[in-house]
Amino acid sequence: MLRLQRLIQSHIVSGTPLIAGEATLTPQSHALIVRWPSGGFIWNRPVAILVERGAQTQRIPIRDLTRIVQLGLLCLSVVCIIVSWPHTRRKEK
Amino acid sequence: MSDMFTDFTQAIGKQREENMGLMEKLLVAAQPGAVYSEPVSSGNYMIITASEVSAGGGFGGGLGFGTPSTDDEVSGAEGARPQRAKSRGEGGGGSGGGGGSAGRPVAVIIIGPDGVDVKPVIDATKIALAALTTLGAIVMMLKSMRKLSRG
Repeated sequence: MLRLQRLIQSHIVSGTPLIAGEATLTPQSHALIVRWPSGGFIWNRPVAILVERGAQTQRIPIRDLTRIVQLGLLCLSVVCIIVSWPHTRRKEK
Repeated sequence: MSDMFTDFTQAIGKQREENMGLMEKLLVAAQPGAVYSEPVSSGNYMIITASEVSAGGGFGGGLGFGTPSTDDEVSGAEGARPQRAKSRGEGGGGSGGGGGSAGRPVAVIIIGPDGVDVKPVIDATKIALAALTTLGAIVMMLKSMRKLSRG
């Protein structure tokens, strides 16, 4: 389990806070790191931005619309293939 | 032979260390600074671009040696024709690696007098390609259903 944790790491990282007027903005990103003895892979994507105004903290999520639409279309394709599969099988019989 | 082996292993070890250094450099992509751009100010507005970053790489190495460089005959089983060992005292080694990185803007963060606004960036080409694939799956499904209903 520990070895797997060393191979695959996933964590949310906060960046350097940025002061804009009265607000302090802290960007957050989600990093997925896969390492193996002879290489590795890193996938880093923005997740949210924290806006602090006085004592109030607001979390504004960053949504990847392109990815959401892509996954939605992929799911639709999979559903279409699953629906048409029994029909094709029945026809073959 | 032994010296050559030592040279090869040292060279490969050195290459491996260099590659590990490159791997550490690759880890910079895991920092939030790689995802968020430097803020750009224009009047009362400040703009930051948020991008998705991915990077990967791999490396490897190997070495090999030929048979001993003597021309001694290797005797087979009794009565069998003696075989001559191939006289190639050569060896070789090598190492290599490869990698790549990609980035795609995900959103634009606009900080203005009214507050913070996050505008998504849509990649029309990627969506169009996914839509075409889905269209293909729908056409395939409709065709198979129509054929079945016709008998």
